[in-house]
Formats: sequence, C-alpha cells, structure tokens
Amino acid sequence: MSELLHTLIQDARVWQGHKHNKTTQPAEPTGYQALDNQLGGLGWPRGALSECLMDAPGIGELTLLVPLMQRLSQDGKTVFWLNPPYTPYAPALARECINLDQVIMIHTDDKDDFLWTLENCLRSPVTGLVIAWPGKLAAREVRRLQLAAEAGSNVCVLFRERHYVKQNSPAALRLELEPDHQQGLKVNMVKRRGSWPGQRCSLAIAHRASLSHHEAPRVVQGPWPEAAR
Amino acid sequence: MLWLHLHFPHLLLDHIRRSGENVAALVIVEGSGQKVIQACPAARDLGVKAGMRLKTAVSLVPDLGIVRADQPQEARILEDQALWMYRYAAHIVLVPPNGLLAEIGSLQRLYGGLPAAWRTIEEVLHERQLTAWMGIGHTPLAAGLIARNSMGECTSDTAQILQTLGRLPLQAAEFDARTSTRLKRLGLSTLGEVFGLPPAEMARRLSPETLATIQKIQGSRADPQAPWQPPHHFRQQADFVQDIEHSQGLFFPLHRMLSELENDLCWRQQDTDCLLLVLQHRHGEPTCLRIRTSGPEHRAEAFLSLISLRFEQQPLKAPVASLRLTVKRFLGREVPGGQDLLGENQDLNEAWHTLMSRLQARLGDNALKQLAPKDDHRPERAWSTSDVRRSNRATITTACQLPRRPLWLLQGPQPLTESPKAWFTGPERISGGWWDGQRVHRDYYIAQLNSGQLAWVFRDMREGWFIHGWFG
Repeated sequence: MSELLHTLIQDARVWQGHKHNKTTQPAEPTGYQALDNQLGGLGWPRGALSECLMDAPGIGELTLLVPLMQRLSQDGKTVFWLNPPYTPYAPALARECINLDQVIMIHTDDKDDFLWTLENCLRSPVTGLVIAWPGKLAAREVRRLQLAAEAGSNVCVLFRERHYVKQNSPAALRLELEPDHQQGLKVNMVKRRGSWPGQRCSLAIAHRASLSHHEAPRVVQGPWPEAAR
Repeated sequence: MLWLHLHFPHLLLDHIRRSGENVAALVIVEGSGQKVIQACPAARDLGVKAGMRLKTAVSLVPDLGIVRADQPQEARILEDQALWMYRYAAHIVLVPPNGLLAEIGSLQRLYGGLPAAWRTIEEVLHERQLTAWMGIGHTPLAAGLIARNSMGECTSDTAQILQTLGRLPLQAAEFDARTSTRLKRLGLSTLGEVFGLPPAEMARRLSPETLATIQKIQGSRADPQAPWQPPHHFRQQADFVQDIEHSQGLFFPLHRMLSELENDLCWRQQDTDCLLLVLQHRHGEPTCLRIRTSGPEHRAEAFLSLISLRFEQQPLKAPVASLRLTVKRFLGREVPGGQDLLGENQDLNEAWHTLMSRLQARLGDNALKQLAPKDDHRPERAWSTSDVRRSNRATITTACQLPRRPLWLLQGPQPLTESPKAWFTGPERISGGWWDGQRVHRDYYIAQLNSGQLAWVFRDMREGWFIHGWFG
C-alpha cells in the first residue's frame, strides 16, 4: 500500500497541499493589505473571473473595489459597470478620485446582450475592470465568461447573490461578503487558485461613511424620540 | 483646348451588373415597358436586339432580367461617374443622358502626354467594368460626335480631327430632322461637305442656329462649358433586378460601396462617424439605418462589421429593391502616431473606439452612459449622464471639496420600514429647489440597518422616513 502511495507521489499524480508553490498568475493589488495577504500577496486575479457573493447592498462591496478603480481609471483604463442595480453616484465616485471619464455604465435588456457585452469588454485591451451584476447565470454561462476573461487580461468582478455559494463555479476567485461589527466587511474566501479556501479576514472600511469607531456617533439630535416610535 | 468625351452606351446595364447579381441576361426596357432599349452582351448573344418588343425578347430568353429605364436614376448614375472622373480631371461637364466631357488638354503634362492620359482613363474604365466609347476633339461638340460614333482616336491634331468628322455621314451628325432633309436635298452626304459651305450662304439658306452648331463643331465660335462641381457629400446606390430577401445578400454590394467610400474618404483626407443606409422596398416605407461609430473611421471593414452587427439585431422587414449609402458628415483626419498626454498610443485609442462602436451598434445608442457630477444641492440632481465620448483631459481633483456621499443612489427614495440599529452622523439639512418647483427639504442621516447595511436616510417635511442611498 505504501509502495503504491509512494509511486503516486513520485509521479506527481497527487497534488499535495502542504508544499504548494506560490502562484504566479497576474494580479492587481486590492489596496487592502489584509485581503492581499489572504490572496497570496497578489490581489484580484487578472484574466480570470472573480465573484463576490453577498445578501444586500450597502455593506461596503463597492468600497472593496474603490482602490482598484482609482488606480485603473487614473492610468487611463476604462472601468465598465454592467447592469448596476442602483445608480453609481457620480459625486461620491469623484470624491474618491476616480476619473469619471473612464467610467462607463452599460445597461442591457436581455441575457444574451449581457453575455455578449461582457465578453466584448473583457477581450478589449482598453478595459481595466468590469463590474457586473448578472442576475441568474447557468454554470455553462459562467464558464463562457471565464474563457472570455482568459482571452483578455482584465479584472472582472461579478456580484451575485449569496445563495450561489453552494453552487460550484468556474470563477478563479470567489469571495463571500458579510457585514462585520463596526461597519467593517468580513471577507470569506470560498475559492481561490493555488491554495485552500476557508481563510477569513475583516476589513475596516467604516471610512466609507466618514465614521471612525473611536468617536461617539455624531448625531446632533436623536432623529426621532423613543416616545414617538 | 482639347476635350475628351466619354460616351456610355449602356450605363444602366453596367450599373446593375456591378450591384453583383448573377442574372444571365439583362435588358433595359423603355418607360412603358413595351420595347427593349438596351441589351447586355449576354442577351445579344441570345438574339435579343435593341428595338425589339419585350414579348419577343422574353420568348427568346425566358429568364431575362428586366429593368425599367428611369430618368432620375440615370442622371444619378451619370453623376456617380463624374465623381470618379473628378479624380483624374478637374474640368468636367455632364452631358445627359449618358455622356461625360472632360477637358484633357491641360492634363497632358500631368500624365506625360496624351496617350498616357488616354491609357489611364481606359484602365480605370476597365477596372470599374464600364463600357465607354472615348473621343477626343478640339471642341466639346466635336468630341461628342466622335465618341458617340465610336471613331475615337488618340490625337491632338485639329486637322486630323476635322478629317475624321468630315467622313461622318449626315445621319450620324445629329442635326434635327428638318435640317437633315434640307441638307440631303442640297445633295450633301457627309459632314465634311457641310463644312465646305460658305457661312453666309448657310445662315441664309438653312438657319442661323445650324450655322452656330457647325461653327461650334469646327471651333470658330465659342462654346463655353460650365464645369461640374462635386457634391459635398458621398452617395452611392445599388439597384437590384431581383429583390434581396436576406441581409447576407446585401453584403456583396455593401462591400463594394464601402470600399468606394473608403477611397473617397482617402481622396478627401477625411473620416466620418455616421453613415446613413436606406433600404428601399417595393412596397411600404423604406428602412433607414443610421450607423454610428464612436470615433472617426474610414475603413470599409470596420463599417461592414458594424453593419453586420446591426443586421443581426434587426432583420430585414421586407425584401430590398435598392440600397443607398449616404455620408454627409466629414471629420478631419487625425495625424497618426505620437503619444498623447496620458501616454496612450494610437492603437489603444482605436481599440477604444472600436469597442464603443460595437457596443453601440448592438445595444443601441442609449445603452452606454458616462457619469458626471453636477452643481446642485439636491442629491438626485447632483449627477448627470452623457453620451460616451473619449476625452483625455486630466482629472480635476476637487475631491476634498465634495461632501461625503454614498456610492449607491437609489432610483428614487424608498420608504424606511424598520428602525435602524445605530445612528451615526446627522442631520445634514438639504433644502433647495424653490427656484424650479422641485422643492426639497430634508434632513439626512447615516444609519445602520439591522441587516448590517449602511444607509443614507432622510426625513422630509412630512415627517416620513426614506432610504436614499447605500454606502456600498
């Protein structure tokens, strides 16, 4: 038996977790040191799909991408927002020093158009980042997108609902996002290339609303008295 | 001065043949549709002759392609010929219905002699698959007569031209019927004999007009010609004998038209960003397709791929009888090479325009938007969308002056249905809009809901609570 195992290991037919090599895939730093560390010191993979899975907006999901958007838009790369569920608020983006000339919003009517647009954006050399809200996608369609992403060398982040965590997906990186205490963001690695899943980290992003938890809340006056409720 | 006359014996046939259909034999019938006016060589081989009744022609060739002569169409086609001719000669005069006159004397030095100029024109005619009879004359009328009787020779010698004209029989000299009869009664049979008559006699015996014509042919009377001016737009049309039912069938003529456009733009040293394609149907309204590119473009392939995308989205609603391509907007061509401020080279710029044009062609012009902040206190009016356009100006960083705002703004305020878990900052009073009737009077707070979402909520004048954005 041990001889059999020995042969298998000798032939390198069994992948061994404890001596994995550092991946050398191209990547863009996320801008958050804690998250970069969890991603093998690299960041968002380029030329591959990334998925962010979450329940509801407003937990800091865009703030996670802001450093990347800043850097790419100032480098003259185009950032596409494909079918965003709400309006990306221009004054807030401008405040974050994102070059709005490089931000393009696209709305598509049906899923065919969506996939076609996403593929075209991913293959183009002018694209830096594509953020997309695809809704329901079949595994086959995710695969198609993954192939398109491999054809280019851009970062592509899909925002999907959290219950897709249980479904497997060909995306290279899958993150589960949850709100943390103190307005932070808890990132749970569901899948990543070249390493084990299951790492967690927590990002302090309360600055997105100019909050810092050392201070007391700055509400001048309780907006509604308890008696009124 | 030396004039070159091009006579197109069957221009309409050539035009239709170029539209790329494989119809074996073609004839042009007169307006009423009874008589054959022109027949293509294939039809002539099968026994169809000009002047034959249409019934006879159809019984000779059952699958005959029939085209009705149409005067405005012929005028248009003739103008198309003038357009390419303009690249070789400056002074062009249209001679309807099927002639083109060009002043060639001044071109001798450019082309290196008359024979070289003659050859150049011949090559172009061959390339464009046009049948034309050429004639050179020292006057416009002489050139026309020689060309129409296909007696053209490459010579600039006036005596030789007059000698050629002199051999012309009177029937071919294009006098009106009355003059022709009178000349015949005088016992004259060739144009040369008419030239020999003393002018005073001719004016008295025939008519002053006849004398004027003769003198204009000979060159002893001035015959001024107003030069034709090329239009400031590009226009091409393809007409089909049989209606085209599938968009695939349109690609062959389209490819030819777009290459013409590419050539034309090259000559103008200009680009365009808007094509108008009009598809005429036998019945019903024509279909107009506006093809836009997001940047200046001149390549036929780029246009063709955009058009094919458009046809995929929008199938033909009826068979197409003719296809017209018009370009009215011309843009100056950018100087290639060099790097701009952001260090982008031409390739990336081009890739950007290609991508945007493709997306716009498939999704429609309104699907792509760019965002910009706007000067207004009211959150829903503090931003605007605009059409996509490439701009390379540096970012204006006014970041610090802008107030803290959420990254997501809801399409409209949503009622707040639960009591938030925690309150952070507030109130921030936003009041304004009295000047345009869209009054807003709100107190904004940042609050965290029980689900952990950070919301931008407000209370309005009527004490209602709403969510207006998410700190995403």
